[in-house]
Order: sequence, then structure tokens, then C-alpha cells
Amino acid sequence: MNEDGAIRSIVVTGGGIVGLSAAIAFARALPDTSVSVIETPVDPAALADRLPTALPEISRFHALIGLDEQELVRSGIATHHLGTLFRHWSASGEEWVHAFGAYGKPVGTIRFDQVWLRARAAVKALPFDRYSMGAALARAGKFVHPAQDPNFVGSRFLYGLRFDPDRYRERLRAHCEHSRVEFRDGQIADVERREDGGIAALHLEDGARTEADLFVDCAGPSAQLLSGIDDSFEDWGSWLPFGRLTLTSEASGDIPATADRVAAGTESWTIEWPLRGRTMTARIGREGDVRITRGRRLRPWVHNVLALGDAATALDPLQGLNLDAAHSAILLALELLPGRDFHAVEIDEYNRRAEQVTRRMRDFSALPYLRSGRTDGEWAQFVEREPPDSLALTLDQYGFRGRLPFYEEESVTRDSWAAAMLGLGIIPRNLDPQSREVPLEEAVPAMSRLAAEIEQIVAGLPSYADYLARMSR
Amino acid sequence: MSDKPAKTRVVILGGGTAGWMTAAALVKQLGHACTVELIESEEIGIVGVGEATLPHIRFFVESLGLDEADFMKATHATFKLGIEFHDFGRVGTHYLHPFGSFGAPLNDIPFHHYWLQLQSKGKGGELWDSSICNVMAARNRFAPPPPGSALYSYAYQFDATLFGPYLRDYSIARGAVRTEGKVVDVERDAETGDVTSLKMESGERIEGDLFVDCSGFRALLIGQTLQEEWEDWSRWLPCDRAVAMPCTPPPGGIEPYTRAHAMSAGWRWRIPLQHRIGNGYVYSSAQISDDEAADALVAAVEGEPLADPRLLKFRAGRRKRSWSNNVVAVGLASGFLEPLESTSIYLVQGAIAQLIELFPIGRIRDEDRAEFNRVTDAEYDRIRDFLILHYHATERADSSFWNHIRTMDVPDSLHQKMELWRRSAHVAKYSQGLFFEPSWVAVYVGQGIMPDGWDQRVATLDPVAVQGAVERMLAQISSAVDPMPDHAEFIRMRNASIEQPR
Repeated sequence: MNEDGAIRSIVVTGGGIVGLSAAIAFARALPDTSVSVIETPVDPAALADRLPTALPEISRFHALIGLDEQELVRSGIATHHLGTLFRHWSASGEEWVHAFGAYGKPVGTIRFDQVWLRARAAVKALPFDRYSMGAALARAGKFVHPAQDPNFVGSRFLYGLRFDPDRYRERLRAHCEHSRVEFRDGQIADVERREDGGIAALHLEDGARTEADLFVDCAGPSAQLLSGIDDSFEDWGSWLPFGRLTLTSEASGDIPATADRVAAGTESWTIEWPLRGRTMTARIGREGDVRITRGRRLRPWVHNVLALGDAATALDPLQGLNLDAAHSAILLALELLPGRDFHAVEIDEYNRRAEQVTRRMRDFSALPYLRSGRTDGEWAQFVEREPPDSLALTLDQYGFRGRLPFYEEESVTRDSWAAAMLGLGIIPRNLDPQSREVPLEEAVPAMSRLAAEIEQIVAGLPSYADYLARMSR
Repeated sequence: MSDKPAKTRVVILGGGTAGWMTAAALVKQLGHACTVELIESEEIGIVGVGEATLPHIRFFVESLGLDEADFMKATHATFKLGIEFHDFGRVGTHYLHPFGSFGAPLNDIPFHHYWLQLQSKGKGGELWDSSICNVMAARNRFAPPPPGSALYSYAYQFDATLFGPYLRDYSIARGAVRTEGKVVDVERDAETGDVTSLKMESGERIEGDLFVDCSGFRALLIGQTLQEEWEDWSRWLPCDRAVAMPCTPPPGGIEPYTRAHAMSAGWRWRIPLQHRIGNGYVYSSAQISDDEAADALVAAVEGEPLADPRLLKFRAGRRKRSWSNNVVAVGLASGFLEPLESTSIYLVQGAIAQLIELFPIGRIRDEDRAEFNRVTDAEYDRIRDFLILHYHATERADSSFWNHIRTMDVPDSLHQKMELWRRSAHVAKYSQGLFFEPSWVAVYVGQGIMPDGWDQRVATLDPVAVQGAVERMLAQISSAVDPMPDHAEFIRMRNASIEQPR
């Protein structure tokens, strides 16, 4: 948009992590635009605001908003997060790790999971995650920064962060003060609409009236602002079948593990997030304190109202994608920020791409439910459910020959899909014919060397406690 | 899961570029999984006119393990940095569609957004100053990008009639079987409709499990035998003929780019190879006669003709399904888009890549056919929109051809893309498919569609910093191009000249 038609004022509703993150990002990207946050309390069901875990992509977001990751770790707000350990969640009953970053090494153009499948069929192979540096570190509860040299296995993993949600929120709020973000207390009493269907102003309970060019709804799954204009919603409850969550926190040793821990029970599952000095736990099942939404708004942006976080896309905690979905949407909104007239062509493009971004997050979250490998309790019936089309195609193609179809804007990597599929016990029924060109007499010893090298490096590293102690010195 | 199932018998019908590319890729990448037999007829001949390619061709050449210099000598190839379009937006204008980016992003904001803001203040120079390909092309220089650099890429301009035979030798050396002769009958399974064998004029029957139809426009298997429906796009792309004629190269250098000149009823290609210039006029037969087109071509070429003008007929469109039963169409049998953006070989390459990804294991599955067709359709549809843009984004009103094409309704998908660009300088993003942001930006700006707005975040950039970044970028481009050799000289340095021994 040329400068005359630019958005000059933005009001964000929702005082949680998502609302503050969006406010800072908008304020820093648009210095001529006023940004204020109406600090409505965090909805207990707004998981992007409440969960303590973030994918590696958070480093890009932190760089964008000028938040120092090292400082977050040193001050004890954040710790490093290498992946998730899945227990009781596979056909074989074996534990597996979904780690960020690479599994093994491709041979020419043949992906490593294909090489592994071939080796496994012909001779033998260790479990898939033994060829991942990130998974080995996660299992051992250790951490080291990825190395620079791309030929060294120590460079081929990524890390996310885990943080204390309350302290992280406080840190973001303090950061708002450096970022021209203004705050208003209070609850929204009334929404004043525009003729075109958008929002003209918000009336607060104290009688104040707040106008803005753009209203950003970060107030959680009820999407208080957006739902009044367009309530169309795609329910994912059939694929992410558990609708209740109980969040607890217990004091624990100061030094956390570097993996999140997921364990399936018969009627529910739990996830443990080890933080500094305490462990947060969520139990997700048919019963629990909070009713959680799973689904997405079909049009997260309508006229001058943009929904972000759980107001736009609500996932359960299984793959830890909640905050990442919110960050992706913030970045997309910045990239495609329309003019003050919010022309349909521009809004449509945002909604088109937002749909593509979230579709595969849904699929990746649904996979462990629909193909849990378990036959007891609730699980037996989930396998009967018809997956969403794009996941059905993925399951067909992977199950038949280990191929993964391409989807636009997909953020879940091939390595992640392979780790989850193989971890769950979805072994392709056929070898991809291309993999038969791989010379096994070279590939198998190379795989053994790789696994041994990973084991040796990890064994030689100091504990995560030592790492954190060195960092805070 | 068995490690050694029976090999799939692949029969490729047609020995043009598509046929031999398919054969070469299959013997190289699926040698353990299939046998390859290719049927070609010297009587029928091939369509291949001088071929311009896109950078993807390098991955194909590399994946076969071919030596670039040897391949270039064998096909009389030159390097290619882009396509220069003349007279498309308006008579008298020209621009390069470069195989590389314009400038560099600042704070995540693509260059063209802040360039547009500079333009609005009368600054910023030409967009093409920021394209290293353009600077190289303007000076007839060439050097490959440093390893790992994403700044620019390159393709080849080569003689397609030599590329096929080169890959034939490669394929036969690796086990492909070549059968010469004409197919007189196609035998099918009465129950499934699958093709079971091809009956040759000699009486020989060639059996197969999978048939690849590379028979060109004749589409002997996918069209004549299986009657797969054709989706016609001529209402948007009305050119249906081409007349081709090579000529001697002009004295002086060899341009490292292809040219496309808009003509009164279509456009004319000019592809410089090492030993000759390939020329051709793509036109709409509703607008001019074949003789008029040939005369216009002869009048336009710069060198001495090396052959008589040769006529080709086609229509724009694609099969509704390129994979049907046990027949996969690759190349012109699958669809045709005029070579305005050098996409023919790319589409062949894309189809081969998908065929390899989805290669049958045992019986052919419906799921795999559907997936092949899903990916193929997306490729064709996006290229189609990009081609239509070249015609539609014009002020030309000097012939009924241009009047039609300027005022026609375009597909909704293109209309949306153009509206988005006009309002906000955003290029509708797709990761799969051929043409990315710089390509669309080149055509939009090059053909005079200037947007009303741009990324609002441009306002956050410090004008002094922007000026500094632009100046540094221009200096970097010229210091990178200054030491580059002349294009023809580089071909010799690379030991890729046809004057050098193979």
C-alpha cells in the first residue's frame, strides 16, 4: 500500500503471549502506526498463550522482535527443547523421539528414511531415531549448540525453546514498553460496527471508546471480535478427538530434561514439560478442567478484523505447534499487510495462505491419534475414522512406498513426518524402487558409523545442568 | 516386503526429446526396477526445433552424471541467463526475464517493494540494474554462480535434434533397447483396457507393463487409443502454428539469452546456439496465413537461412488426465504450451520426476495415477497463467490479434494474481511449480503493470540505509561481472566449444 492508504492504528485484544507477540511485531514493523493492547485476561482454553513450548522457528520470531534468546535462558525463563519423547504410543510399544532437524543422511537424492527402510529389510538397522543427533541428545537429556560445519553430524539438528509461560508473558510485556505498545485495561462491553461489516470501535466497560483501522483478535478460541462478524468454523474434533485438558504444575529439580515427554494411557494422554524448578503437566482426554477447541476459523481475516492464535487456529498440545501456528500467522499478516481499505483481493490471499499453513499442522497433529498403533481403550475407534483428505493421501503414499506428497506452505518437514510415521510403526509396505539403486555395501556401514559417532559425541558431552551453569556464569 | 520383485517392462513410444529423456532417467534411476524399450521411427521424425531450457535442466543433466562440457559440445549448447522480451507490453520496449533475483531483501522486505517506493520519488533507477543476469546479458558475459550461491542460475540453449541422440547413446549404453519401426496396431486387455502390446509394421509385437506415450502431437496411445479428453486453452492462447527456420549466426558474440519478439499475430523466438541461430514465428492461423508468417520470419531473421521454413501445427491445452490405465503421456502427447517461456522440456522433466516418484510397484494403483495427474495439472495450470500474462499485460492495439488478447477475459486464477499485484505488489505465492516471485515481477514491471501500493513495512526503512544498500548492491554486481569472460570465450574456457575435440 502506498503511504496514504496505510493502516495507522491497530488495537489488539487479548493480553496473553499471542496478543503481546503480535503487538510487538506490528509495532516494530510499522513505526508510523499506533499499536495498543486491551489486556483482557487469558482464556484458559487459549493454548497458544498457555503452553510452555515452542518450535525452532521461534528464533526467527525472536530475532524479528528483538528478543534475546540467550538472555531468556540465562535469566531462567527459557530452556532448550530438542524434541518430544513418545511413550506407549506405537504398535511395538517402543518409545520414539520426534526431534527437530535431520535424521541420518540422504544417499544422493534418496532420502534417509528410504535408505533406512532398505537397510532394515535387507540386513538390519537400529531404530530410526538412533540416526538423529537431536533425538540422541533429547534421550540423554543433554544439550549443545548445533555446530557450524554442515558435514559434521553435530550441525544437523535444531532446537526450540521451552519457557515458563507466566514469566515469558511478563518478559514480553516489558518488551512492549520498549516497542511503543500502549496498554488499556478492561473488558469489552460493546462492539460498534462499520457499514461494510467491519468494526468501527470497541466500547470498554469503563465507558471508553477505542477506534482503530485494524482490530486483532487474540483473545482465545471464542474469537470474541471475529465471531461476531463471521462465525464460520471448521471443526477438527473428529481428528483431534480429546476435548478436555487439565493443566498442573509441580515443583521439581532445577535442571530440566531437554525433551518434552508424551505418554498415552487408555482413556487419555499426558505431556510433561520440564521447566526450571517445576514441571508442567497436561492431561488430555474426555474429562478435564478446560474444554479445548480444535479447529480453525475458515476466514481468520474478515474486513478489518484479524484473528490470531487460538482465535484463528486451535490445536491440541500434542505436537507443540500452538505458538508456532500463531507466529506463522503474525509473520504472514506482516508480509501481506493490506491497505486501510482492506480490499478483498488482499484479504483473500491472506486467508488462502493461512489455510495452507494450518492444514498440515492439523494433519501432523491428527496422525498419532488416527494411527496410534494401539488397540485398547479409546484408541481402537480412532483408527476407523476417515482422515482429512490431505492426511489420507499422505498415509496412502507413505504406507504404500514411503512417499510424502507435496503441500504448499507446509512447515512440517519430511524428517518430522518420517520420524512420526516410523515411530508409530507405519512401515511402508514396499520399498521405493529408487532406493534399490543405493549400494547397500556402502550405505549400511555408513549408517553404523553415523549411529556410533552420534552415540560417542553425546556420551562425551557434559550434562545439561553443566551447560546451564556455564551459561549463567 | 521383497527386495527383488520382477522388473516392470517399460515401453516408450517415440524417440524425440521426451522419449529419450524418459529412457535416460529410467535406466539411470530405476535400473534395478525396470527394463526400458524405446520404439522410434526414422520415417516419422521429431518435432524438436532449437530448444531453450530453464535452469531445472541442469539438475537433469547432473542427475544423469553427464559431464557438462561434453553434453554442451554434443548439443552445440550455449549458456542462458534469461529471456529477453521485445515489444510485448508496448512496441519499442524490451526487458529480460532473468534466471535470478532482483536485488536483495532488506529486513525481510523483497527488493521490488522498496524499489517501487524509490520509483515513486523519482529514484532507484531501472529495476533491471539490480539483476546480475541482466548486467551479464547486456555485456555478453558469462560465468556460473559460485557454488551454493542462490543469486542467479542458468540454463542452456541447445539443439534438441542433437539432445535426443545424445541421450539415446547414453540410454543404450545403460541397457535401454531401441526398436526402429512404425506401430501399426495397439493391443489392449479386453477387461481392463490396459495396453498389452504394440504391433509393429514388421509384424513384431512388443509387450509391456507400462507404456510411456512420447509420440508427440499424434498422442497415439493417450489420445488415439485411450481417447483421453483434451482440455482446450486456445481461447486464452490462440497461437496454433509455428514456422521455424535456422540461420547463420551474426558476427560478434553469442548472446547468453533467448529473445522473444512480439509480432503482429504472435511472437518470434531467437535462440543463439554455438553454430547457428534458431528462429521461429509462433502465430495464430486465424490472423495470418502460413505464407505470410513464413515471409515475416524470413524478413526478420538476421543471418543467412540455413534451411527452408518448416511448419508446425499445435493447439494449446492439456489432457484431462496424462496418466490413464497403464499409459503415461510425457511431452507433447500430454499437453502443449507455446515455448514463450521455454517450458516444454521442463514439463517433460517434471513428468519424468513424478513418474519415477510414483513408479508402479506391482499393479498400477488408482491412487498413484490420481496423484500424478494432480501434480501435472497444477504445473500446467500455473504455467498457463504465466504465459497468458505475457499477452494480456499489453497496451498494444496495432492488430486484431493484440486487440483480442488485450481485451479478453483471463482465467480467474490469473485475474486474482494480477489484482493482488496491482494493489499491493504482492506475487501470489506458490512453492511448487515453475515461476517464482522475480519472474512475475519481471513480466509485470517489464510490461508496464505498475502497482498502486507496496509493502507497508517499506516505510520503516531508513532512506539513507536504503540508498546505501542499493549502491552497495549495484557495486557488488558490477565488481562481480567485471572480471567475467565473454560468453563465447567462457564456452571455450569450459572446453565446451564444438570446435574443441570431444
